[in-house]
Amino acid sequence: MTTQPSSDDRIALLQGTLDLLILKTLVLGPQHGQGIARSIQRQSEEVFFVDHGSLYLALQRLEERTWISAEWGVSENNRKARFYRLTRKGREQLVQKTSEWQRLTRAMGLVLGEEKA
Amino acid sequence: MFKRKRSTQDFDEEMRAHLALEADELKSEGLSDEEARRRARVAFGNTQTAHERFYLNSRPEWLAWLDNLGRDLKYALRQLARHPGFTLTATLTLALGIGANTAIFTVIQSVLLAPLPYANPGRLTLLETHWTDSGHTAPRMTGPDAVDVRTQAKGLQAVSLFAGGNEGVQLRDHATYTEVTWVDENFARVFNLWPIAGRLFGDAESHRAALVSEKFARDNFGGAQAALGQMLHIESETIQIVGVVGGGFDYPGKTDVWEAISLKPDSTSRTAFNYRAVALLAADTSFKQAQAELDGLSQRLQTLYPADNRAKIIEVVPLADALTGSARPTLLLLWGTVGIILLIACVNVTHLQLVRAMERQREIAIAKALGAGRWQVMRPVMIESLLLAAMGGVAGVLLAVPAVRILVAMAPRDLPRAAEIQLNVWVLAFTVGIAALTALAASIFPALRAARVEAAEALKHDASRGVTRRGAARLRDSLVIAEVAATFVLAIGAGLLLRTMARLMAQDLGYQARQLLVVDTDNPAHTDDDYRRVLQQNEIMLAELRAIPGVERAAGVMGLPTGPYGSNGYYTTRGGLPIDPAHQPWAIFTVASPGYFETMQIPMMRGRDFSSADTYFNPFVAIVSESLAKQSFGDVDPIGKQIQCGLDSDKWMTVIGVVGDLRQDSPADKPGPALYMPMPQHPVFANQIHIVLRTRVAPLSIMNAVRARIVHINPLIAMKFTTMDAMVSDSITVQRFRAVLISLFAAAGLLLAMLGVYGTTAYSVAQRTVEIGIRMAFGADRSIILGAILRHAAALACSGIVVGLALSLLLVRLVAAMLVDVHPIDPLSMSAAAVLLLLTALAASSAPAWKATHVNPIEALRAE
Repeated sequence: MTTQPSSDDRIALLQGTLDLLILKTLVLGPQHGQGIARSIQRQSEEVFFVDHGSLYLALQRLEERTWISAEWGVSENNRKARFYRLTRKGREQLVQKTSEWQRLTRAMGLVLGEEKA
Repeated sequence: MFKRKRSTQDFDEEMRAHLALEADELKSEGLSDEEARRRARVAFGNTQTAHERFYLNSRPEWLAWLDNLGRDLKYALRQLARHPGFTLTATLTLALGIGANTAIFTVIQSVLLAPLPYANPGRLTLLETHWTDSGHTAPRMTGPDAVDVRTQAKGLQAVSLFAGGNEGVQLRDHATYTEVTWVDENFARVFNLWPIAGRLFGDAESHRAALVSEKFARDNFGGAQAALGQMLHIESETIQIVGVVGGGFDYPGKTDVWEAISLKPDSTSRTAFNYRAVALLAADTSFKQAQAELDGLSQRLQTLYPADNRAKIIEVVPLADALTGSARPTLLLLWGTVGIILLIACVNVTHLQLVRAMERQREIAIAKALGAGRWQVMRPVMIESLLLAAMGGVAGVLLAVPAVRILVAMAPRDLPRAAEIQLNVWVLAFTVGIAALTALAASIFPALRAARVEAAEALKHDASRGVTRRGAARLRDSLVIAEVAATFVLAIGAGLLLRTMARLMAQDLGYQARQLLVVDTDNPAHTDDDYRRVLQQNEIMLAELRAIPGVERAAGVMGLPTGPYGSNGYYTTRGGLPIDPAHQPWAIFTVASPGYFETMQIPMMRGRDFSSADTYFNPFVAIVSESLAKQSFGDVDPIGKQIQCGLDSDKWMTVIGVVGDLRQDSPADKPGPALYMPMPQHPVFANQIHIVLRTRVAPLSIMNAVRARIVHINPLIAMKFTTMDAMVSDSITVQRFRAVLISLFAAAGLLLAMLGVYGTTAYSVAQRTVEIGIRMAFGADRSIILGAILRHAAALACSGIVVGLALSLLLVRLVAAMLVDVHPIDPLSMSAAAVLLLLTALAASSAPAWKATHVNPIEALRAE
């Protein structure tokens, strides 16, 4: 993002993690693409850098899988925008992916922690 | 994902919304309107990329695939257009290979593979007689055997006997030579014939009714309806046309008239093979089942008639095989030959592709360095090859159309089913198939090579700078060797067949064929009185013909060499050598007028010719050939000995002379025993004879004079004119056809091999320009460089010749049966082929070699 100073601390998103972040963001309610990007960036304390091309590709992918649905609406500052919302299937996926992710991070933590020790 | 869910416009709109929202937000953070919009765009990154990704992602896969193919094709087309020399050479090479294959396959498909153009083609069969003791098979049947098959074999739905040949047919006001076949009423059942006009005949109308072809009806009466009820005279029988057969049906041969004979055959002997027989298998019977039934039936007949039917088995042969069996070896030989041509063409194109690939190495290396995968660098090579094959295929078909026409015109007259030969869907499918195979074969090496290019290596070693990759050179060399080997095999084949042809043309026939006019005459006769009249007319005719200016001698004969008539069989002698019952003496029977030997210039070795005194009422006499004399009398003088044969009478004949042997069927025939009898003593053969005229002038120039005299004597005599030369020449059309075609193909192969050698030498010289320049700068002699290059070409050619020699020793068995008086392992053909190929290779490499010796060292090095 333009507001983001160029920094080496930023982490490119791992394959598949973007999907999870999008789903998580949408739990709070329908949102448009730009809002999703901002939200991810803000919530990750500006660590994650969201490539917009990838974002829209992911949105499209999720939409095709019917985990999210989309319709045109009006934003809070009265601009026309395409709003994405979580579907029932998307909610189920979010629960499943979250637990998968937690298992993964726990396992990674165990491995890395042991090596450090 | 075959349905696009969102339009690109919709996506566009979303992108615009995104940018606007982002700009709004940035503005709210305090940036100016313009700056906010700029930063939003920058943050978004490349909009074009986002679009593209959306586009690619939302398209069906096959469409994306087609899109890529289209792009690759366009690229390949541009590449080909940029290398016109390469493109033209490759396309023409492939066109030659594919065209030759298409042409030959057209013939093979129409003659050997297509079902017969009759109803129930798969159930039609010809009955043949096979002798288990001698292994001999005759495509004929005796009347009584055939009747037994007809009445007893349940696996055969209908069996028909027939016989026939070329006959003079007398119409109301003229006579014409026509193929006449005598058939019983079952013939129409076997072939499921229905007349387009009139009706079929019944068994009671034997020798009184006939069917004619639509063509015959049109040519002679103006139409099918007009032909009905018309009278024909064949061999003095009066026959009424009761029906006209349409649909171009003309079995057997090119029959125009089918005359009725009875289901009860005239001949009741089980040793007289006077008939041929066709049958229709019952719907649920296979050839195997039918044969099993006939085996049993043949066994029963052997028991019932132990003498006549000894070791005799009646066999069913699919009619298609019986019809085309004779043409099969020649056609398969040609197919093999054009297969080799295609192989050579493929090798050449592979080679051209390889050279192109070398030039492209940098391009490929860069593509690889940029992350292109194996398949991505192989694809353009293969697509280019596919494109070339497609162009070659189209050009090939265009070439094949006239080639087929020439082939059919050149083909032996008895090539079965010649009229059916045409390009069709099957042939085109075959062509598409071989074009695709060709594309694959020609691109596989270059493509693999492209895939193996190591980016870093290739960029370091610029191939054009003289550092050649050993592997590549070796591959190109082996391709040239393969090409030379294949061409050598073709050249050997051509050599052997040409030598056979030369032998045949130079053959001593036993008679002098030059300056002989031949008139095929058919003088209607039926009763004894008729034959007496014919004999008299013949005598008058010969006397009058001898009086025509330019005619030296004239004679009449039944059984002219290479002619359609003639007879043969067993004979017995009195006072001859003892006879082995298993090998009874056999001879050709010829009936001739006095003066025949002189006219033909058949040497009279001993005794005398027939004379006017050898009439029917005087003692019967005969003349024998030298072979017969040797076979039956050994060293004893045969003159005065008695001889008997079953030609038309059992009377004993006294041998009055011995003449030289001759080759009866064709120059490829062996001289053998022959028995000559005087025409007046065998009058039943006098009506259908060849008149031979030895002339001082060009034989055909007196044709009209001859015709006028004969018509004057009897206008109902049907006549056909030819020359003895033409007849002899016709009798070896099969051999000529083979020899000419194989030679043509060998020449094509040689041309391609020459291109191959030229290409590889020229390329390696071009690549080594720097090296040669350096060598010359250090004082290398021109002759050394020239020698090195020529030596390399010669080495390639010699390796190819050795491989080809080994191959041809393996393959030569296939043509052995087609050779006459030439040994299949023929040192002359082999050395000629070897020398030819070696010279070709040297000639092809001499131009690039010469160019190499004129490399200017300074320029070559400056070219860096």
